[in-house]
Parts: sequence; structure tokens; C-alpha cells
Amino acid sequence: MSNQQILLSVIFVPTLGAFLLPILERVSAGLRNWSALVFVLVSVAGSSLLAPLALKGQAVSVSHALPLGFNFVFTADGLAVFMALVSSFISAVIVLYSFGYISHYENQNEYYLMVVLFLGSMMGLVFSGNLIFLYLFWEITAITSWRLIGFFREKNDVFRADKSFLVTAFGALSMLLGFLMIYQQSGSFDLSVIKETFRFNPLSNTAIFLILIGIFSKSATLPFHTWLPDAGVAPSPVTALLHAAVLVKIGVYVFARLFVVNLSLGEFWHVAVPVIAGASALVSAGAALIDTNLKRIIAYSTISQIGFIFLGLAIGNEMAVAGGLLYILMHGLAKGGLFLCAGIIEQNTKTKDITKMGGLIATMPVTAIAFLFCAFSVMGIPPFGGFFSKFMVIVGTLQAGHVWIALIFILGAFLTILYLFRAFNMIFLGELKTPGVREGSAVMVFSVALLAFLSLAGGIFIRYPNEFVGLVLQPIFGMVR
Amino acid sequence: MLPLFILVPLFCLILLNVPPKAIVKRPAFWLVAALPLVQVFLTAFHPVAVWDEIRNPFNSYFIFNLSVDALSTVLLLSIGIVVFIAALVGRYTLSGETQRFNFFNLLLVAFLGMNATVMVQDIFALYVFIEVTAVASFILIAMQKDKPALEGAFKYIILSVVATVLMLSSIALIVMAAGDTSFAAVSSAIRAYPASVLVKVAVNLFLCGLFIKAGIVPFHGWLPDAYSAAPSSVSVLLAGIITKVSGVYVLIRMVVTVFGIEQSPQAVLMFVGALSIVAGALAAIGQSDFKRMLAYSSVSQVGYIILGLGCGTPLALAGAVFHLFNHALFKTLLFVNAAAVQEKLGTVDMNKMSGLSVKMPVTGATSVVALLSTAGIPPLSGFWSKLIIAMALWQSGQYAYTIIAVLASVLTLAYFLSMQRRVFFGKLQEGLENLTEARLGLILPAIILAVVTVGVGLAFPIVLDKLILPVQNILK
Repeated sequence: MSNQQILLSVIFVPTLGAFLLPILERVSAGLRNWSALVFVLVSVAGSSLLAPLALKGQAVSVSHALPLGFNFVFTADGLAVFMALVSSFISAVIVLYSFGYISHYENQNEYYLMVVLFLGSMMGLVFSGNLIFLYLFWEITAITSWRLIGFFREKNDVFRADKSFLVTAFGALSMLLGFLMIYQQSGSFDLSVIKETFRFNPLSNTAIFLILIGIFSKSATLPFHTWLPDAGVAPSPVTALLHAAVLVKIGVYVFARLFVVNLSLGEFWHVAVPVIAGASALVSAGAALIDTNLKRIIAYSTISQIGFIFLGLAIGNEMAVAGGLLYILMHGLAKGGLFLCAGIIEQNTKTKDITKMGGLIATMPVTAIAFLFCAFSVMGIPPFGGFFSKFMVIVGTLQAGHVWIALIFILGAFLTILYLFRAFNMIFLGELKTPGVREGSAVMVFSVALLAFLSLAGGIFIRYPNEFVGLVLQPIFGMVR
Repeated sequence: MLPLFILVPLFCLILLNVPPKAIVKRPAFWLVAALPLVQVFLTAFHPVAVWDEIRNPFNSYFIFNLSVDALSTVLLLSIGIVVFIAALVGRYTLSGETQRFNFFNLLLVAFLGMNATVMVQDIFALYVFIEVTAVASFILIAMQKDKPALEGAFKYIILSVVATVLMLSSIALIVMAAGDTSFAAVSSAIRAYPASVLVKVAVNLFLCGLFIKAGIVPFHGWLPDAYSAAPSSVSVLLAGIITKVSGVYVLIRMVVTVFGIEQSPQAVLMFVGALSIVAGALAAIGQSDFKRMLAYSSVSQVGYIILGLGCGTPLALAGAVFHLFNHALFKTLLFVNAAAVQEKLGTVDMNKMSGLSVKMPVTGATSVVALLSTAGIPPLSGFWSKLIIAMALWQSGQYAYTIIAVLASVLTLAYFLSMQRRVFFGKLQEGLENLTEARLGLILPAIILAVVTVGVGLAFPIVLDKLILPVQNILK
């Protein structure tokens, strides 16, 4: 297979394969489940095959010219491959976990279809070298998350699904207006053309502002963050997939793709975006500190951590951006793990309220340890992976001379430690309030243990992800070195 | 060969009515379904310009010329699709063989009327065929003869009469100025006297008439009543194509070919378009009747077409025509879904239903496709037409209108998500455990339309290239 074919299959095997899943179910449910996993693994394998070339700086590209600047372009450069590997790998773990979790519920066909379609469109978005195709896949992820949040069909679930769709669609349409402003100057939606057009004349602040509305709404950043905690009504693997590991990273990725790789931000935005991100990190950390619904706590924590990623990418020096990218990886692993642990806890105790839990470490030890490991990583405790990314982001901020911003985020990191310990304490320590609770099924426990292990290993062997990120960033910061 | 688009339906109409009714009642459906299908294949796969050149003996018997350009091709295709779907829906929802037979006959009249409307090159002939279509639709709306149906039809007749008077007076004024009614003559006369008050009055009178026919705010009062009172198959036809041909198409044709963009009140068109988009969407949010909501949604979507037309650049025109085509697809699909729901539940009150997609999965899934297309969510066809309109508006510097057009999609999404939540998504309503999916005759059109909507969205480069972008040439 040529590299172009690999690239296309990374995107289109899951996207199109998703629609086969309901048909495969006619044969057997097992076949459908395993096919779903295989389709996702195709993306993992394909992205790893593309990685060596992309890291050498030889981007694989498929393109076909279309009228009106709608060029069909997919490019696998370092950043795209990095993002694709992280999101497809975490998605694969989540699909595996779903085998256990979702087997008790109705509408499984829709579930697997939407999850695999989501992953496929994520791949499309990541590799897309054209703003319109990026927008197209962006909205497909919105459609799938709409169906998935409303998966249980209760009135309240569907309301919240609608809410998240409307908020993100509003953001996306604002972003589209920003794209139109770009188009007016460049005459094309092709990113390579756009990069050339804006090499010497900066993009107007209005366009940046409009695009940022889209990015912030998708990545659940203040003031568009409220849909994310509400989306916790979705099945747990979905909250892990959509709201922790992958979906909220879309906004961050597009930020990196547009404003780190292709366009330059004005001086104003290098301060404004971190300030918004800092406010978002503090507000949501505060919310996480008082909420009693386990999934909402973790969701608020996600909003808070996304602030750190934005900080790293917006500060824009090499250390901060590398930290931001590592953060995407480490946070994806750890937060995915936390949500999956929450799923096991919720399914076995039949509640999400942490005040009604306690002492679970005795009955579900593996989950407890996995939860603790993932929490350590999110808190940024060495030697877990999360420590290094958080450290690099803050050091990058200090290097850029923004001491106050760094202080805000250190306060945010401190709050993270508080609310995660509080949650761990209330769930796992103390006296057992829910007798008769068992550990989750083998495949579910294996998934969380894997993610927890990787959070630790990612920190101990930080050299490898760090080198990977270094290679990703080389073409971008190469000139500066 | 173009007269055949009119003569074949006319011949079939005679064929259906001369022999004893007992013989023709059963095959009537097949005849009425086959004709539009043939038209779809002809227009989709063969360049219509070819038939234009083939001379035939019929031409000399017409006193008016027929001609087909890229705009008419898109319309002929849409007419074919919607009439075919309406025939299918009619066969499976109307009760009684006589009523069905009447429906098929009237459908043929509307079909030939619309075909002629999009091909004639003469404003008086245009007027005649608009009326042919309108008379057929009055009777179609009132077909069930109950109070709401008669009320809806009555409103439509009264407002149509007003529109007719406006258009006829305009034609009279134009004849005074131009001395002829052919498009070419009128066009050159108007261009010769751009400052003449007479011409201005004539142009504006005609446009006002068309605003009523197209159901644009503030002339939309008749439209929700007519759509919701009519039998399902008729609302499919009305919403999908009749008002689009006799109102919107004629508006586009008059503004682009006859009056010329420069002589038309572009600012008024854009303002009215934007007003329709927003007012229609806001009104739709408040509805609890499924069909009325769809009717207001129609008002809102037609606003996009008018806005694109008012913008006046070739790209905007192409976007507007593309949206017209897409609207025929997705609005027809939604009305087919409404027909399926009405057929199974006997009501279209959205508060009395919930979670229907558990029992009606195909209807539920196809309605999702249609609503996402209407709201302009990619990768469905509606996204591309709205995008092109927005691109063209932005390029010509209409920033405020672009922002209204783009952000109004959130409103569209809001009322459709509310519809979806109340009707299909959610838990199944108690007492509906024995509900089943609508019969094949109603699912099949829904599937066809959903596939076409997705197909056009995915194969957009081909559609743009072959069908839509040539429309730009009309302005060049």
C-alpha cells in the first residue's frame, strides 16, 4: 500500500466502516463489537505507519483540486500524526472498555456506529488540510456527540444533548464566519494557500476572535463551558471519549493547526488567550471543588486542564508548545482513565453522588489504584506523565515573562490537587457505604489499568514522548534554533 | 423536443379521462409516477440543451417559445423528484380510489403547469401557467372538504387573486412600455428606460405579486394554513415544489433574465430575505403542530434563496438555485416524515408524541438527515448551498446579512432539535407500544430522498460542476 492509501484508509475505514456495524450485528453482536475495534485499530496502525515519514519532515499528502477553493486535501505532518495516534489509541481502549460497559443497554448498534464514526471524523479533522473539510468533520463530531449524549433517551438527557449541539454549532458557525474572512483574502480554503497569503499581512483580529469562539465552544472553555458538565449524562465511555480524551481536544488541535503552524497570532492574543484560559481553569476548578456528582467533577476538571493546554499553545515559545502537546497526550490518557473508573464505580454502585460512596478501595482495589494513578497524573505529581507537561507549560510561560499568568495557573494546579484528593477520599476511603459492590468486569478493569499504567510509564519514560514532540515541532520552530 | 415536457403530461391527462373510469383507475398511479421519473433521468443524465436543438413539428403550433437554460434544468429536475414522491405518498395516504384518481389527475395538471412555467420565454404565458398550477393546487388543498382544508384553500385563493391582480397590472404596464410580452422584448424595453416611473411601478408590482406567491414575510400568512390543512401528499407537493416554482423560480427568472439585477430593488430583496429567515425561524420555534412548524421553516429557508438572489453576484445566484434544489429535497423529505407520523398516529400535534424512532426507526433517521441538511450542517447537501450563499454575500461586502444568514442556522437547528426531541428522540410515549413503522410506500420515498440528500452532500463537486455552477453563466 502506498502512503497515500494508508492515509485515506486511516480516515475512511472507520468513517465508512461505522455504517457497516449495524449490518454486521445481523450476523452476531460479537462480530460487530470486534469489527468496531478493528476499524479503530486500523487508524492506530495507519497513523503509526505514517509516523516515521512525518517525523522526518516528509509530510504525506493526498490532494485533489475542486472548484471554489474547496480543494480536497489531506496531509499527514508531524502534528497531525501525533494527534491521530493519541486520539485513535485512546479511542481503541475506550471501544474495548465498551464491550463490558454497554452490553447492558439498548441501542448498541447506534452506540458503536456513533463511536466509530466519531473516531473516523476525528481522523478526518486531524489530517484535513482544508478549512472546509476541517469544518465538515468538526460538525460530524458534533452530530455524533449529540446522539451519544442523548443515548439514554431520558427527557433531561435529550435536553442536554440538544444544548451541547446548539452551543457547539453556534461556535462552529462563528468560526465559519472567521473562515469566510480568511477566504475573502486568500480566495481558497486550502491551508497551504492561506499560509502563503498571510505570511506577511496578519489576519484581522475580528477573524481571530470569531475562530476562537468556535475553538472555545468545542473545547469547553469559559464562557462556553457549561455544556460539558451537563454532557455527563452520556454513557461513561462516551464521556471519556468525547469529553475528556478526544472531543475537547479538537478545539485545542485546531488552535495549534491554525495559530501555531499556519498563521501567526498578534501580540495581544498571546496574552488574551492565556488570561481567558486562566479564568476558565480557576472557575472550573472551583466548581469541581464543590460539586458532588462524580462525573461532573471530572468534567469540570477537564475544563480546568484544557486551560493549561491553551496556555502552552498560546504562549507560543518552543518549551510551552511542546508542553501543550505533551499535555494533550498525558491528559488524554489520565482523564480517559478517570472517566472509565467513574463508569465502573457508577455502574456498580448505581449512583454518581460521591457523598453516598465511601470505602470502595476495599471492594474494588484495582479501580481505586487506577483512579489514584490517573489522578496523580492529572494533578501533576512526579514521576507521572502529567507532571512533565504541566512543568513545561509553566516554565514556558515564565520564559515568555508572564509571571502573573504563571501564578494563576500554579494556583489552578493547586486546586486540582485539592479537588481530586477530595474526590478520591470520599469515594474510596472511609467506611463502606454501599455494601455488596463488586469490581467491574475484566475487560473494563483491564482498560483502566492500562491507561493508569501508561500515565505512569509516560512519565518514567518521558524521553520518548518528549523526543516525539520535539520532532513534531522541529519544522515549526526549526528556523529559530 | 421541449414541448414534450408539456404535451406528454397533457396527453396522459386525456388518456386517463376518456376511457371508462373503471379501466384507468388502477394504472393511473403507474402513469403518474413514471412520467416524473423519466423527467428526472432525462434532466439528470442528458444535457437539456441537446433537446432544445432538436426541432420538431410541435413547435410551430405554439405561439410562445420554450427554452431551457441551467436554471430551468435544475427546476425540471426538482419538479420531477417532488412530483414522483408526491405520487407515491398520495397512493399510500389517500383513502378511496376516487379520491386517489382525482389526486393523480390534478397532480398531472400541476406537473405540466410547472414544467411549462420553467420553460416559457414570455411573461404572459408565464402568468397563464402559474395560474394553471395555482388552480390545480387550490383544488388539491381543499380535496378533503373539511373546514380547515376549505379555510386553507380559501386563504390561498384570496391571496393568490391579489397576487394575480398585481402581476396582471404589471404585465399591462409592461405591454404599454414594451409593446410585446416576450422576455427579450420586455428586457430591452426596461433597459432602455431605466429611469421611467412606469417601468419602476411595473417591476415592483410584479415582485410584490411574487412575494405573495412565494410566501415571503410579510406576505406569508396563507402558507402555514394551506400546508397544514392539505392532505399529506398535497403538502409534500406544495411545500416541496409548487410555491417554489410559481413564486421563487419566477422571482429569480424575472429578476435575473427579464428585469435585470440592476433594475431590481436589490436592497429590498435582501432585506425581505433576511427578514423571512429570522421571522420564519422564530415563528417555527413556537409551533407545536408538526406541519405548521415545517411551513414556517419553509418561509425561513426561502428567505435564504431570496437573500442570495438579492445579493446578485453570479456565485450568490448559483448558491440560491442550489438552495432551491436542496430545499425541494429536504423539505419534501420532512413532509414525507410528517405524513408517516400522521398516518400512524392520526395527529401532527408534537406534544402528543415522544420517542417514536424506537418504533419508527427509518422515519426517525431520515428526519435527522433532513433536519441537519436544513440547518446547514455538513456533510449534507444543505450545508453547501448555505455556504455558497454566505461566501458570495461576504465577498460582495454584505457583512451584516452574512452574519444573519449564518447565525440563523442556530435558530433552525434549535427548532428542529426541539421537534426531534418531542417527536422522535427520547423515551417512547406510553400507550404507543403497538406502534409500527409506516408502510413501505411511505418509507421508500423517505429513504430515496435521504440517500439523495446525503449523496448530493458527499458528491458535491460533481453536482456543483454539472448542475449548479453553470447557473452563473446566466448572469455573465
